[in-house]
Parts: sequence; structure tokens; C-alpha cells
Amino acid sequence: MDTYRSLSKQEWEKALTQLLNHYHIYAPLAWGENQDYERIDEDSVADIIYNRPKPASPLKTFFLPVKENVINTEKSDKKRIILGIPSCDLSGANILDEIYLDDVFVDPAYKKNRDESILIGSDCHTLQEHCHCTTYGIRPYPEENHDLTLSLVEDTIFMHINSDKGEQLVREIGNITQLSEPTENEIQEILDKRKAVEEELNRRNRDLPNYNATGDLINSSGDEIWKKYSETCVSCGACATICPTCTCFLLLERPGFEKVRHLDACQYPGFEKVAAGEDPLKELYKRFRNRYMCKYVWKPEKFESTACTGCGRCIEACIGNISKNELFMELYNK
Amino acid sequence: MKGNNIYKPVKAKVREVIDESPTIKSFVLEPERKFYFKTGQFIEVALDGIGEAPFTPSSSPLIAEQLEVTVMKTGHVTEKMHQMQGGETVGIRGPFGRGYPLEKLYGKEVLIIGGGCGFAPLRSLLYNLEAEKEKIKKVTFCYGSKNPKECIYEPYIQKLRNINEFEVMRTVDDADETWTEEVGVATVLLDKVDVNINESVAVVVGPPIMMKFSVQKLEEMGYPDKKIYLSMEKNMSCAVGKCGHCMMGEYFVCKDGPVFRYDEIKDKPDIWK
Ligand SMILES: Cc1cc2nc3c(=O)[nH]c(=O)nc-3n(C[C@H](O)[C@H](O)[C@H](O)COP(=O)(O)OP(=O)(O)OC[C@H]3O[C@@H](n4cnc5c(N)ncnc54)[C@H](O)[C@@H]3O)c2cc1C
Ligand code: SF4
Ligand code: SF4
Ligand code: SF4
Ligand code: FES
Repeated sequence: MDTYRSLSKQEWEKALTQLLNHYHIYAPLAWGENQDYERIDEDSVADIIYNRPKPASPLKTFFLPVKENVINTEKSDKKRIILGIPSCDLSGANILDEIYLDDVFVDPAYKKNRDESILIGSDCHTLQEHCHCTTYGIRPYPEENHDLTLSLVEDTIFMHINSDKGEQLVREIGNITQLSEPTENEIQEILDKRKAVEEELNRRNRDLPNYNATGDLINSSGDEIWKKYSETCVSCGACATICPTCTCFLLLERPGFEKVRHLDACQYPGFEKVAAGEDPLKELYKRFRNRYMCKYVWKPEKFESTACTGCGRCIEACIGNISKNELFMELYNK
Repeated sequence: MKGNNIYKPVKAKVREVIDESPTIKSFVLEPERKFYFKTGQFIEVALDGIGEAPFTPSSSPLIAEQLEVTVMKTGHVTEKMHQMQGGETVGIRGPFGRGYPLEKLYGKEVLIIGGGCGFAPLRSLLYNLEAEKEKIKKVTFCYGSKNPKECIYEPYIQKLRNINEFEVMRTVDDADETWTEEVGVATVLLDKVDVNINESVAVVVGPPIMMKFSVQKLEEMGYPDKKIYLSMEKNMSCAVGKCGHCMMGEYFVCKDGPVFRYDEIKDKPDIWK
């Protein structure tokens, strides 16, 4: 309980404005039903939205930008604070870390981007149509990979400290304004909200198979289902680029033996084509299936972390209107 | 590699360019500093501002001052490499991946099957085995290529044939009047080899179709899948298990391979593509 601090929303905004002198701050801003991370300035501090899932772009875009020079990895002028990260995205960072910071090869650009970020997680107080994190064992409130958790209840901001970085930041905020320790009742209110949202998620998604069951279903499926569901796929790659756990890229050479990393996706034609002309993913339905095999069959064999967080972004982003969950339900009910 | 930028190459001078065949050239590279690799491991060669591609050194892993890659002209990067005359500076990264299992070859009759440019990595293995020939019973090397002009490393073949423990058999798909050895695809040589299979380990490197039929043949001959090693060629970009291009089932070929035991990969999808 001693790890909670609270302050009024007004004081919080004042503190954030001051922190802008030392940090770049990113937080969700909304337009209509949608929202995305934006760079915050004095004028937009009051527009930040809290506890609403989920920014259009995943957290990974901060660690793996669409395009980045991986040879010149100079320190940035300021550290950055990323606010309003949903639990699914924080858990999604596990597999990124496993791949990019493995025992043998540490990716310097990724490491820099990760180290320079202070991550402030957000309890989800509402849901979006395709949220299904609990199906894959992730709860709708941050449990890992974050420095602070934030909840806005009525007009009070509650901060839960989860790391040294988080404690340091709270100390800085404490130097700007007075912090309180929340009462047990207030904390109970936060926990009750968590429970209600988790129950709602479980209720909505109770028919979806869990992560392991999904892997087994995919692994034992024939070609037909993939041909059927990929009929409207146009290989745009949106499902992979928007995915918090997709990690693929291509290196391009620049003069001076420099390299620029571009995010890439197995949905694009030619992703696995070799010089001799062979291409295991030449047919569209095989590329389409590849994403599912990767996330639910192969990654689970190789890595500890889950390769799908149930964020639902791939469903929302698909030009072909393809829902992976409908596909799973069809496999499940066969 | 810890501490260094895994994407940053070491500079190397191109000391010599050797014509091996109409489509294949070797490049002798002299790195800025000593460069160690194990036979079967690969490196990335970067042409400044142009591109980067993976190659398995064809030179002896026992020499660290210089290394050699043998390159078939197939596309963007390899075409530019073939235009090099010597004296240029390239970048090299590596070595990467898991090479040939030397310790599994010691004490054995080693059967090596190579096709086309697959001789390149195998030459490095042969150099290595040649230097340690007291550790192996014998080496039978079967080499297949399209036609006599595409048979590479002619002088080295002659040299190997003069070593007691080494036997070399060759075949071409299309013979001409100069050709005195076998004719047909590489597997025809396997009908002729004299090995004690119980005492033997096989290594296969070449184009996918050739590897596929060689493995079938080896199985028919009685080789267990655990005694067959293959070097897999997949599309690669990062070489360090991150970019995803080389995935084959749950394996990243660049990091978990490129050399695999056949039983490790036989159930993975599309391994011959
Ligand atoms: C582990 C390994 C070892 C190899 N060893 C040798 C060798 O010793 N000698 C030899 O001649 N060739 C070797 N190859 C094949 C060689 O890497 C390709 O011929 C080369 O990448 C083709 O590049 P390119 O730009 O000329 O061809 P393009 O077809 O123009 O390639 C364009 C791009 O596609 C990608 N790409 C296409 N094919 C491949 C491929 N097979 N592997 C990786 N990336 C590819 C690359 O990103 C490349 O920049 C090896 C491949 C691998 C994976
Ligand atoms: S699904 Fe495709 S793009 Fe995503 S990580 Fe796997 S191979 Fe890469
Ligand atoms: S596969 Fe879809 S639901 Fe799963 S993490 Fe990626 S975008 Fe989210
Ligand atoms: S977003 Fe939809 S249309 Fe685009 S590649 Fe993915 S499945 Fe295909
Ligand atoms: S080449 Fe990038 S993961 Fe293997």
C-alpha cells in the first residue's frame, strides 16, 4: 500500500507541464472513438485521456520505429515518458525483449530506445470491441514491464510505483507538488474497477480458445480454412505492422557502411524468397497462415513469452475484414 | 559480440578476385583485424551503400589473417561483387550461426555431398578435415555440377585426390567431350560410394532440389536421419536472430543453423524451398 501515491488531476497536470522541461512526454490524445500516442506540450497536457484502451499504435513503435539507423545510436537529448500504456502492450514487450536483448546478440538501437523510456501503464476502465487479453492470460491492468501504473478515479490521479525508475519519477513529482497516500477505500475502488473489467472481458470472450488450444488447432488444421479466410487478404501487412508483438524487419545499406532498419512483415510477397528463386511463401494463403503459425505455434515453441496479447488491433486494421477470432471459432467448433 | 554493435561491419580489403567458373568468383578478403570462424559458420559481406548478403567462407578456418568467399552471381549484391577487380573495401560481419559438427565427424567415414556453389562452404570443411586427417577414417566427397565449365576448384580436386584418406567423385548434368567422369545428377554417385554406413556421417550442401534427393537416397542407403547434416539456405537480413526472414518453423536459421541435423528439421514446412 505504501507504493501508492495520489494527487489531484489539476496538480498532476501542473507537474507534467514542469516535467516537460526534462522529458519528452508521449500520451494518448483522442479524436472521436479513436486515440493514439502524441507528443505532449503545454497546450495538450489537459487533453490527455486516461484509462481508456488502447492507442491505435502499439508500444513497440517507440522501441522499433518504422525506420531507424541502427549504426548511429547516439543518446537522445532527453529521456521520454510514455503515458497511458495498456497492460496488453506492456506484456507484449516481453517477446520483443526476448528477441532483441537475447543472451548472445543485444540490438543496440532497441536497447537504447528501451532504456531511454519511462513506462507508465494504465488500468483499462472500459473496453474496445475486440479486446481479448484475458483469453491469453493477460489482465486488463499492468502487471509487468512498467515503472508506474496510473488510474484516474473521479478527479484524483493514483500512481502505483513498480520500479526504481518509477520511484525516482514520483520523487521528482513530489518536488513539484504535494503527494498524498491514498486511503484503503480509495485503493479498494481501484481494485474493484479492475475486477469488474476483468470479469466483463472473461464474459465477452468465454467462447474463444486459450493460447495453447489455439496453437493446437492451427497446427492440426488443413489448407482449406486458410484459403477461405485469405480470400479477401490483399497482403497489405497492416495486421503485422500494427501488431505489438511482430518484430520483423529488413536492413538496407547506406553509404559509410551504415544500415537502416525498416519494419517488414511476412505478409508481403517475397519475404522469404531466396536468390535462386525459391519462395516458401509464394502463395498468398501460405503467407496468411504464416502469421498464425508464427504467433501460436512456432514462437511458443521457442520463447517463453506469449506472441499474441489479444489486443485485437489486427482485426481492426484488416482491409479485408478478416477476424482472426472468427477463424479460431470456426476451427474450434469444427 | 557483447559491447559491439552487432550490425557494424569490420572493414576488409579485397586482395584478389579469382574466376572459378562463368558464374562463380572467389574473393580473397583481408580484414582490418584477425577474423576467426568455425567451418560452416557464415558471414555477412556488405558493399558500401549497396547491400549485404550472407556467404559461408570457403577458406580454411585455421587461417585468421585472410578469408575467402566464393560467390555465385544471382542478383543485386552478387552482381556488384562480380564487378570488383580487387583493391576495394567491403564490410564483413560475423561469424554467425552453427557450423559443421566436427566432433561428430572424428573417428568416422565422412560422406560429403556437394552441388554447384555448395562446394564453397564444403571446401572450408575439407581444408579443416585435411589438416586433421589423423582424426578421421576417410572422406568421400561427391560433387555434382551443371557442366564441366561450372566445376569449381579444379586444382584443389587434384590435390585432394593425392591424399590417401580422401576420395573424390564428380558428375555433371551435361557432359562434353573433355569430361571423363560420371554423368547425371549428384545422386548417381551415391550408387558408387564405398562406405561403411554404421561408421559414417553424411554432410550435404547444395541447391534445395539436390539436397532433397540426396537425403532420400541416403535414407534408402540406410543412413539414420540423425547422421545426416544439411546446410540450409534461407533469405536472411540481420543474421542475428531478429529480423524474422530466415524462420523455418520455430528455428531462426541464421542463429540455430545454418547447419542442421536432418531429424531436427524434417517436419518443418517447406524446407526444400
Ligand atoms: C547461410 C548462407 C550461406 C550462403 N553462402 C553462400 C556462398 O558461400 N556462396 C554463394 O554464392 N551464395 C551463398 N549464399 C546465397 C547468397 O547469400 C545469395 O545468393 C545472396 O544473398 C543473393 O543476394 P543478391 O543481392 O545478389 O540477390 P537478390 O536476389 O538480388 O537479392 C535481393 C535481396 O534478397 C535477399 N536474399 C535473396 N536471396 C537470399 C538468400 N539466399 N539468402 C539471403 N538473402 C537473400 C537479400 O536481402 C538480398 O539483398 C548463402 C546464403 C545463406 C543464407
Ligand atoms: S507474424 Fe510474420 S511479421 Fe509477425 S513476427 Fe511472425 S514472421 Fe514476423
Ligand atoms: S495478433 Fe492481433 S490480437 Fe494478437 S497481439 Fe497481434 S495485433 Fe494484437
Ligand atoms: S491486414 Fe488483412 S488484408 Fe492486410 S495482410 Fe493482414 S490479413 Fe491480409
Ligand atoms: S537473418 Fe534475421 S532472423 Fe535470421
